[in-house]
Amino acid sequence: MMKKIALFLFSAVLYVGLFAQLPAKTNTLVNDYAGLFTGQQRANLEHRLVAFADTTSNQILVITTPSLEGYDISEYAIRIGEEWGVGQAEYDNGLVIVIKPKNDTPGRVFIATGYGLEGALPDAVCREIVDIDMIPHFINNDYYGGVMAALDVIMPVAVGEYSYQEVRGDEGGFLALAIVVIVIVVFVILAFSGNGSGNSNIGGRGGGGIDPLTAIWIGSMMSRNHGGSFGNFSGGSGGFGGFGGFGGGSFGGGGAGGSW
Amino acid sequence: MKKLSGRMTALIVVVAIVFIGIIWGVRTNNRMITAEEGVSAAWAQVENVYQRRMDLIPNLVSTVKGAADFEKGTLEAVIDARAKATSVQVDANTLSEANIAAFQKAQDGLSSALSRLMVTVERYPELKATDNFRDLQVQLEGTENRITTERNKFNEVVKSYNTMIRKFPNSMIANMGGFEKKGYFTAKEGAENAPEVNFEF
Repeated sequence: MMKKIALFLFSAVLYVGLFAQLPAKTNTLVNDYAGLFTGQQRANLEHRLVAFADTTSNQILVITTPSLEGYDISEYAIRIGEEWGVGQAEYDNGLVIVIKPKNDTPGRVFIATGYGLEGALPDAVCREIVDIDMIPHFINNDYYGGVMAALDVIMPVAVGEYSYQEVRGDEGGFLALAIVVIVIVVFVILAFSGNGSGNSNIGGRGGGGIDPLTAIWIGSMMSRNHGGSFGNFSGGSGGFGGFGGFGGGSFGGGGAGGSW
Repeated sequence: MKKLSGRMTALIVVVAIVFIGIIWGVRTNNRMITAEEGVSAAWAQVENVYQRRMDLIPNLVSTVKGAADFEKGTLEAVIDARAKATSVQVDANTLSEANIAAFQKAQDGLSSALSRLMVTVERYPELKATDNFRDLQVQLEGTENRITTERNKFNEVVKSYNTMIRKFPNSMIANMGGFEKKGYFTAKEGAENAPEVNFEF
C-alpha cells in the first residue's frame, strides 16, 4: 500500500516536472518573476502600461523569468501572448516583452508582436529596439531603464502616431521637414506671382491667388502633423485604475529578440 | 379507441425520436463543417508562412552569391531544396497524414539546406556585416518563428477536429458525411528549431 502511494506521488511529481508549464495567466501587465524591478519601478511600469492600454487598447505585457522552461524565447513569448490573449481580439494589438536575465545562461530578451502590430513594428524594427534601447541598459543590470527606453519607441509607433523613422529622428523626419519647406516656398511664389500679375492667369478671375499670410497659415497647418516631440504616456493622475483584463488577441510569430 | 391511441402514441414517439435524430445529425454535420473550415483556414496560414520563406530565398541567394568565392554547392543545395519544396503542394481538401508528411519532408529538406547555408555564412564576416544580409537574417528568423507558430496552431485545430469526428456518436455522421481524419505536423529531427539562424552579434 505504502509502495503504491509512494509510486503515485513519484509519478505525480514526474508529471509536473515533465510538463513544465508556462506561467498561469495573471491580471497584471508587469509580471516580474525574475525580480528585476524594485517595487516602485514595477508600479511605475504597470501604471504606464495600464494607461497605454486604457487610452489606445494596445496591450503590452512585460514578463521577466529566471528560466525559459526549455522553450525557445520566441516560442515562450508567443505562446504566452496567445494563451493569455494579450491585445484585443478584433485588432490583435498585443505585444509581449520577455526578459530572461543573465544567470548561468546568457541573458535573452524577445519582443513578440500580435498579428495586428506586425505592420507597425516589423521584425527588423523590433530587432533594432532590442539592440539599441534594451540590451545596452540590460548589460548594466538596468532592466527598468531598458524597458522604459524601449517603450518610448514602441508606444508612439504602435499606435501609428509616428513612424519608426520619425521617432528615431532619421532622414524620415528630415524628409518631412523638407517637404513642408518646399510646400511653403511654392505657396509663397504662387501668392506673389498672383498679386504681381493681377488678373492675368494664375490668380483666376477673383484675382490675387493666395496671399502670403494664408500661405504661411497653411504651411503651419501642414507642419503641425510632422516634427515636434512626443510626450510619454505616463500622465493621468488620480486613482490607480487597474488593468481591465486581457482581450483575447492572437499572435502569429512576429517579433525579434537578442541576447547578451 | 384506447388501442388506437396507444398506437398513435407509439408512432408519435418514433416520429419524434427520428425527428430529433435528424436535427442532431444536421447540427453535428454543420459543426463538423465549421471545424473542417477551421482546419482549412489554419492550413492556409501554414502555407502562407512557408511561402513567405520561399519568397525570401531568391533574395538571400543573390545576396550571398555576391560574396567572393562563396561555396557553390551549399547554394545549389538550397536552390534544389526550394524547387523540391515548391513542387509539393497540398490542397486544403486533401490534408491526409501522407500528404502532410510529404509536405513536411520537402519543407524540412529546405530547412536543413538553409541551416547549412547559414552555418557556412559564419565564415564570411564581411558578408554578415552588410545591412542587406542582416535584414534578410532577421526576416528569416521571423519567418521560422511564424512557421513554428502556425504549425502549432494547425496541429491544435486538427486535434480538436479529429477528436470531434472520431468520437461516438459523431463518428456515424462523420462516416456518412465523408469527414476524414487530418494529418499533423510532427516535431522530429530538430525540425522545430531548424534552421538555427540565431546569430549573436
